[in-house]
Amino acid sequence: MSERLRNLITVALIAVMAVALVVLVATNPSDPDRIQSIGSRIKCPVCQGESIANSPSTMARDMLDLVAERVAEGRTDQEIINELLGSFSGAVLLDPPASGSTLVLWLTPVAALIFGVGVILWWRRHPPQVTTAETDAGTRRLAPLMILAVAFGAIVVVAGFFLQDRGGPASGVAAIDTENLDDVSNETMEAVIAANADHPQVDGMRLALAERYFQEGKFRTAFPHFLAVADSTYASDSQVVTALVRLAGMAWEGNGEVDAALGLLDQALAVDDGSAPALYLKGQVLWCGSNAFDESAGLFQQILADPELPDESRQTVQNDLDAVNARTACT
Amino acid sequence: MLAFLGSAGMLVALLGAGLLVWRGVVAARTDRHANIDSAARMLLSGSVVAMGAMVIALLTDDFSLVYTANHHARATPFPFDVATAWAALEGSIVLWGLILAVYTWFVLRRYRRSPDRLGAAALAVIGVVGVFFFGLMATVANPFEVCVQAANVGCADSSMWPFAAADIPSDGPGPNRLLQNHFMMAIHPPILYLGYVGMTVPFAYAIGALALGVAGPDWLRRSHRSTLVAWSFLTLGILLGGWWAYEVLSWGGYWAWDPVENASLMPWLVATAFLHSGIVQQRRGMLQAWNLILVISTFSLTILGTFLTRSGTINSVHSFTQSAIGPALLGFLVLTLVGSFTLFSTRADVVATSPRIDSFVSREGTFLFNNLLLTIYAFVVLIGTTYPLILEAFTGTQVGVGEPFFNRLAVPLSFLLLLVMGFGPITPWRSTDAGLLWRRTRTPVVVALAMGLLTAGLVSRNGWVVLSVTLGFFVLGTIAGLAVEQARRRADKMSEALPEALRKVLTGDGTFWAGQLSHAGVVLVAIGIAFAANLGAHTEVVLSPGDAVDFEGFTITYESPFQVSNPSKTTVGARLTVTREGSFVALVEPAANFFGGDETGIPTPDVLHRPGGDLYVTLIAPPTATGSARITFDTSPMIWLLWLGGLTTVTGGFLAMAARRREREVVADRQTAHV
Repeated sequence: MSERLRNLITVALIAVMAVALVVLVATNPSDPDRIQSIGSRIKCPVCQGESIANSPSTMARDMLDLVAERVAEGRTDQEIINELLGSFSGAVLLDPPASGSTLVLWLTPVAALIFGVGVILWWRRHPPQVTTAETDAGTRRLAPLMILAVAFGAIVVVAGFFLQDRGGPASGVAAIDTENLDDVSNETMEAVIAANADHPQVDGMRLALAERYFQEGKFRTAFPHFLAVADSTYASDSQVVTALVRLAGMAWEGNGEVDAALGLLDQALAVDDGSAPALYLKGQVLWCGSNAFDESAGLFQQILADPELPDESRQTVQNDLDAVNARTACT
Repeated sequence: MLAFLGSAGMLVALLGAGLLVWRGVVAARTDRHANIDSAARMLLSGSVVAMGAMVIALLTDDFSLVYTANHHARATPFPFDVATAWAALEGSIVLWGLILAVYTWFVLRRYRRSPDRLGAAALAVIGVVGVFFFGLMATVANPFEVCVQAANVGCADSSMWPFAAADIPSDGPGPNRLLQNHFMMAIHPPILYLGYVGMTVPFAYAIGALALGVAGPDWLRRSHRSTLVAWSFLTLGILLGGWWAYEVLSWGGYWAWDPVENASLMPWLVATAFLHSGIVQQRRGMLQAWNLILVISTFSLTILGTFLTRSGTINSVHSFTQSAIGPALLGFLVLTLVGSFTLFSTRADVVATSPRIDSFVSREGTFLFNNLLLTIYAFVVLIGTTYPLILEAFTGTQVGVGEPFFNRLAVPLSFLLLLVMGFGPITPWRSTDAGLLWRRTRTPVVVALAMGLLTAGLVSRNGWVVLSVTLGFFVLGTIAGLAVEQARRRADKMSEALPEALRKVLTGDGTFWAGQLSHAGVVLVAIGIAFAANLGAHTEVVLSPGDAVDFEGFTITYESPFQVSNPSKTTVGARLTVTREGSFVALVEPAANFFGGDETGIPTPDVLHRPGGDLYVTLIAPPTATGSARITFDTSPMIWLLWLGGLTTVTGGFLAMAARRREREVVADRQTAHV
C-alpha cells in the first residue's frame, strides 16, 4: 500500500469517526439535573462560601427543596433564581452575570488573552534589543518613579483593604457586646455578624437584629437570621426557642402556613416544653388556623397554670381562653 | 521551661536569618566566602528547637503555653496532638520557618561545594524571607506566649515574657473539630508547606542573579531541582487536600473553588508554566525575562495564598482568628512585588535574551501556548478569588463568585491544555514540517476517536466524558507513539532488541520521560473528574431500621443505629449493609463525631471504594429516638482515576528530579532523530 493511499484511508477513517462521535454526543438524550445546577449557582446564606447544592445545612436543604418544587412547577431557571435571591437575605448568586459590577470578571480574562497573544506576536517580530548606555540611563531614571508609583498604589490598596468597611466593630470579635445594642445601626450589626459568623457569642446579636427586622415587618430579611440562631451550635436554649417561635409566627402570619408553623413550634417545645410564647402561639395557630378549639384551650390552660405568669399576660391569655371556650372565631 | 526553650530557639533562628542576610550580602559583593555556615546552622537548629519545644508541650499536655492551652486538649489522641503543632496560626508559622530552614540547608550544601557570588546572594534572599517569618513569630504570632490567666477552658490572658508566672488551665478546647476528624489532616499541611516554601529557592536564585546583574541559565539550572521538589510537594498537597475533602467533608466532592483551594492552585499553575518555559530557556536561551516574571509571580502567589488563608479575610476551615498577621503578610507581599519588579526593570539590560522563535509550529511554540493558557488560567482563578474581596472593601457591594464562574472558564482552558499537551512532546524544537507532525499524530488520533466512540457506545454519550476520553487517549497515544518510534530507531541503529532499546530510551532521557509520566497522570485526573462530575447519581432518603432502598444496582438495608464512645469523641451513626444482586458487598457506617461536649456532630461519611467507582454514604441527621435516619447516597464513577492520576503526576515530578540525565548524548540522539 502506498503512503499516499494509506494517508487517504486514514483521513477518511478519522473523518467518519469524528462525525459519528459528534452525532452521538449531540443526540445524547441528556437529562441535566436542573435542581443541582440551579443549586450550585446560589450561595447558601448561613454557610461559608458553599453553594446550597453542596451544603448540608438545614437552610440550604430548605432552599433546595424550594428549587425542586419550582422545577416541578415548570418555572424557568431565571425565575427560580430570582425568587431565591428575593426571599432569602444573604443568598448571593455564585455565577456572576456579565454585566454591572461583575462585568470586569468576564472581560479581564478575555483582555488578558488578547494581551498575551499580542505580546507573543510583538515579541516574535521585535528585533533583539541593543543595549546602549542611553537606554540604560533611561531605565535608571525611570526606576525611582516606578517605585514611587507602585508603592503609592500599594499603600492605597492596603489602606482601602483594612480601613474601609472593615473598621469599627466588624474587625474584632471582642467588640461584640450583646448587652447594649441600642445605639448600633442595622448595617453595623450585619457587618459584625458577617465577620463573626462562627463566633459563639454572635447569636445574641443576630437575634437582636432579627427582632428589629421582625418588628419593622421585614420578615424576609429577618428570616435567615432567626434560622441561623435556630440552627446554631452555640445558641442557648432560650435563644433557640425565641428564634423558632418567631419563625413560626412568620410562617403563619406571613405565609399562612399552618403546618409549617406548628412544626416549628413543636421543635421549640421540644427544647423547652414550658415556653409560654411557644405555647401561646401554638394555641393561637390551632385556634385561628384550624379551629381546633379543644387543643387550643388546653394549651392556654397550661400557660395559666404557671404561677409566675405576669398579670398582664395572664389577662390576655384568659381572654383568649374564654373566647375559645365560647367557640368564637378568632379575630 | 518550654516557653523559654521555644522562645530561645525562635530568637536564635531569627538571629541566624539576619546573619545569613548580612554575610550573604557581604560574600556576594566581595566574593570572599566565610562564615555563612554558622548563620545557616543557627537558623536550622533554632527552628528545630522551636518546633521541638512546641511538640513536647503538646505531647506532655503543658498548658502553661497559650498555644497548647487554646488548641490542645488532654483527650486529643495521637497523632492529632502532634499535628496540633500546625493546626493553628502561630504553630503553622513555626512549621513554615522549620521547612524554610531545611531548604536553606540544601541550598547551603550546594553552595559549600563551590562557593560563588550567586549562591551567596540566593542565601541572602532566603535570609530575608526567614527574617520576615521568624520576625512574625517573635512579634504578632508568638507561639510561645505564657498563659498568665487561665479560663475555664483554655487561656484568658497571656504574656510574651517566657518567665512570667504561669496560671495553668486544667484543660484546653482541643484543635478544630474538622481537623481532628481524619489522619490526613496531620500530613496535609506539612506536605503543602514543603511545596509553598520550596518556591522560595528559585525565587532566591532569580533575585540573586538580578541583584548581581548576572543573567544566563545559571540561576535556572541551580534552582531546577528545588523547583521540581517544591512543585511535586505542592501537587501532592493539593491532591491530599482534595482527598481529605472527599473522605471527610461529606458532600461527595473534592474541589469547590474555595478561596483556600484557589490559593494553592494559583502558584501551582504558574509554577507549572515555569517548569515548562524554564526548559525553553535552558534549551534555546529564550524567554529569560518571562521566566523571571513567572518565578517572582509564583513566590508572590504563595505569600498571597498565605495572606488569604491566614489573615481571616476569608472565612473557612483554613482561616484562623484575625490578627495583625494580615497586614504584615500583605505588607510583605507588596514589598516583594515592588522590590522584585523594580529590580527587574533596572536590570532590563541583562534580563533580555536575544534569540527569537523561528516558528510557532515547534516545541517552543507549544510551550508558549501552554504558558499562555496556564497563566490565563491562574489569572482567572486570581481575579475570581480576589475580585469579590476588593469590590467589597471599596464599595461594600457583595458579589458571589463560585463554582459556576470558575467552571465556565476553567473547563475549556483545561481541555485546551490537554490538546496542547498532546502536541507538545511530539513537536521538535525550532521548526517542524507538517509531514512529521502528521505521521506522529495520525495513529493517536485514530486510537483516540476509537476510544471516544467506545465510551459513547458503552458508557455515556455525555459530551464532557467523551471529550475527556478522546483527548486523554490522544495524549497517551502520542506519548506511547513517540516512545515506540525512538525505540525502533535505536533498535535499528544499535542492533538491539526492541524492549531493550525501549528501556534504554526511557532511562536515557529520564527527565523528559518523567515529564511524560506526569502528563499521563494529568490525563487520568481529567478523565476521573469528567466521569465523577457528570455520571454520578444522588438520592436522599429517610430510613427506619429494617428498611431497604435500591440505588444504582445496590440494595442498601438499614440495619440499626449505633453509638461508640471513647475519651475524645462519641460517634453516633447508622449501620447499613450493601448487597448487589443478592450477594453481600459491604457494611457501611456513616456517622457523626461529637468531640468533647459538643452538641453538634461532625458528619463523617462512609465511602465504599469499588473498581467502577465509589458508593458514598452520608448521614444527614443522626438517628432519632425511633431509630429513623436521614441518609444520602451518591456514586462517584471512576473517581479512583483522579487519585491514581494525581499520584502518577507527583511520581513523575520526583522521578524528573532524581533522573540523572545523560544530557549531551540524549539531546544529540533526539535531535538527529528528527532530521
